[in-house]
Amino acid sequence: MTDREKDRLLNAVGSRISLRRLQRASILILLFVLGAVASAKSPTFLTWYNLVDNLFTNAAAVGIIALGMTFVMIAGGFDLSVAANTAVCSIVLVLTVNALLPCGPLAAVIVALMLTAIVGIALGAINGTLVAYVGVNPFVVTLSTMFVFRGFGLILTQGGQSMQIASLTLRRQFTDWLYDFKCPFLGAEYQISMPIIVFIALFLIGFYLLRLTRFGHYIYAIGGNEQAAWLAGVNTRLIKACTYMLCGFTCAVAGALFLANATTAEATSHMGKELDVIAAVIVGGTPLGGGSGGLVLTLIGLILLKVIENLLTQFNVGAEYRPVVTGLIILVVVTIDVLVNKKTRQ
Amino acid sequence: MTGVSKDFVGVRALDDVDFDVRPGEVHALIGENGAGKSTLVNVLAGRFTDYRGTIVFEGKHVRLANPRQARKMGIAVIYQDLSVLANFTVAENIMLGDEKASRYLRKMDRASIRACACEVIDYLNFDLDPDRRVADLGRARRCMVEIAAAIRRNVKLIIFDEPTACLASGDVDKLFGVIRDLCNRGLGVIYISHRIAELPVIADRVTVLRDARVVGTREIADCKIAHLTRMMLGHELKEVFPIKTNRPGKVILKVKQLTRAGVFEDISFQLREGEVLGIAGLVGSGRTEIARAIFGADKSAGTVEIGDTVLEKRLPPLSRNVGIAMVPENRQTEGNITQRTVSENINITILDRLSRRFGFLRPRDCTRQTCRMIKRLNIEPPAPGRNIRNLSGGNQQKVIIARWLAAESRVIIFDEPTQGIDVGTKAQLYKLIIELASKGHAIILISSEMLEIAKLADRILIIQNGRLVQQLSGPLDDETQLIDACYSRGKSK
Repeated sequence: MTDREKDRLLNAVGSRISLRRLQRASILILLFVLGAVASAKSPTFLTWYNLVDNLFTNAAAVGIIALGMTFVMIAGGFDLSVAANTAVCSIVLVLTVNALLPCGPLAAVIVALMLTAIVGIALGAINGTLVAYVGVNPFVVTLSTMFVFRGFGLILTQGGQSMQIASLTLRRQFTDWLYDFKCPFLGAEYQISMPIIVFIALFLIGFYLLRLTRFGHYIYAIGGNEQAAWLAGVNTRLIKACTYMLCGFTCAVAGALFLANATTAEATSHMGKELDVIAAVIVGGTPLGGGSGGLVLTLIGLILLKVIENLLTQFNVGAEYRPVVTGLIILVVVTIDVLVNKKTRQ
Repeated sequence: MTGVSKDFVGVRALDDVDFDVRPGEVHALIGENGAGKSTLVNVLAGRFTDYRGTIVFEGKHVRLANPRQARKMGIAVIYQDLSVLANFTVAENIMLGDEKASRYLRKMDRASIRACACEVIDYLNFDLDPDRRVADLGRARRCMVEIAAAIRRNVKLIIFDEPTACLASGDVDKLFGVIRDLCNRGLGVIYISHRIAELPVIADRVTVLRDARVVGTREIADCKIAHLTRMMLGHELKEVFPIKTNRPGKVILKVKQLTRAGVFEDISFQLREGEVLGIAGLVGSGRTEIARAIFGADKSAGTVEIGDTVLEKRLPPLSRNVGIAMVPENRQTEGNITQRTVSENINITILDRLSRRFGFLRPRDCTRQTCRMIKRLNIEPPAPGRNIRNLSGGNQQKVIIARWLAAESRVIIFDEPTQGIDVGTKAQLYKLIIELASKGHAIILISSEMLEIAKLADRILIIQNGRLVQQLSGPLDDETQLIDACYSRGKSK
């Protein structure tokens, strides 16, 4: 390599890194700018009640699914069936609690939660098997299973009835435990709700899995170049299937949280939530093809979308405009990504 | 490793081939495009499982069933399109698939990954930084990463598939040093190359493949380059080329200072009616990119004039309207509209002419037009409604040429027109190219098969590293002069 070529290469690398960093930082900057504008204009924005009790608590369930989705998408996959999976999980939870009530409320809830988790993982495993072992395109697989899972929901609720936990006290307790949980170390006005705690716990576990274990390492490898990973002796099919099962598990957790909030489970609930989840992952910066990205990015993307939603509410922007804003944000973020890629590839 | 022999039937990509590699030797495998080199490699890599014949590896009969098994046995292929993970560091790439994890929390041990990788790098004496991201490395270093990963897996046989095709000269020397070092450690090396000239430097023995058969195996010390060339090409191919009947007329295309930053610079030339202009150069020298720029498939600076019109903006639709055509390099991904019929594939360029009021297309018009082109180019089978997928490579190529003849193109750019096509069809295509030129079409011919350019072109441009370094006038008797011109590295600087 001649000196000139070397210089050219170094320059290319230099500009590439700075552009990339700028792009990564741009989302954070946007977030801070929005936050600053909001807190200046609206006194209620930067309050513990608005941010933590309202915004984060509501975002937690979607955020938990987004964690699972990040795993799937880094490995180059895709899952459209998460909302349907969540609905099924909520229904299964209600049905099993009701069936087991005679054995005592505590036992009923614990067994029901475990069974719900198993159902979520099993539905994820259906996706995973079809994608990883049979080799069907993930979009097609999860689009189909989305309909199938909705169908399961309708069958379980005898054609779309709204389901409730039969015992009123237990229903109250379940909701109270999740949403009025008092953390012993925190003062009265700075409480953190249970959904946030669950989210943080899952986030930390997920971060550990993705960044510090072989499993996570291989997920990045598969997203980067599946063939190379396969040739290096990585069991790519098993790992891909596992990402879908993990995603199914997060759906089950979210299903429980949603149930506690709404108290009823319906086959048709959470319609469109899968798109919110995917939006958070993509806005965060995990590309559709996989290979890079991460949970921290997804968290940032999620917060950005939720803060914007919250701001629109605070400034009394009509609900009819909100989808437009969300759509534009995704479009802008993805467009910037494409442009940066074009610029750096030259 | 005592002997590898195999017989692979089906499309006759390999026909009763015997081949063996000894530990500690570099066995070169040469042959033209489509001679069966890559098929042989793919069999050894475990990618083609439906081969016949036997393979003996380290004294044991083996049946290669999948790539993983081949790897496990100790066969590694370093492909041209290097298969490394760009987002991973050098160390992570080397150790991929063999990471250690802690006992209880299954935490991956990054320190040990780095340490083991460093050990391998030191053992091989490579100049590699374990913490660099592979995306930031050049091709030669990426190749080293792959070699290191293979060595780490206890590989006994390494296959290099045209490793020097895209390397600069300094890197080639570096790579040869590495290969020789691997041999000294007792590994067997299969070295596949187009460049006969570099074989005496690197190889111990050489096997020549032609039309899926082994022509012969020789000790490199016993044979001359000219002799190898003759073995590689055979005599049949020389009879394949038609008598040139075209006469260059007046200038039709002027290319001035065509530049695309970082790819090619300051390319200027003229093209006459009835002329075949060859563009020769190594893979990656910018040949294809120049053609794409003229056609308008990529953006570029500089001007292109056709006849009296200056093309300010170059885009494929505009090029079509002024009569510039391109038969692209990659038939499957850039040429064919797969899953559609021959008729649809031909008429795609002239739908606006075929369509009637309100954009209606009369099937009868389309079929009539298609039949005319099928007759003119002898497309087999002569069925307009046939799915293009079911045609042979040569006939697919004819369909694409028909597309542009239908559009009445005056300048036709052929990029690797004979890739993956058998000798008989090649001859037909050569005849067609000369016929087109005789009728006044101007032809630009780009090819890796130097002989093709040497025999067909009236004038030849030599491209090196994106620059036009030399012009030769053709036709030439053989390709030696061309090969020399393309490889002469010193002169270009």
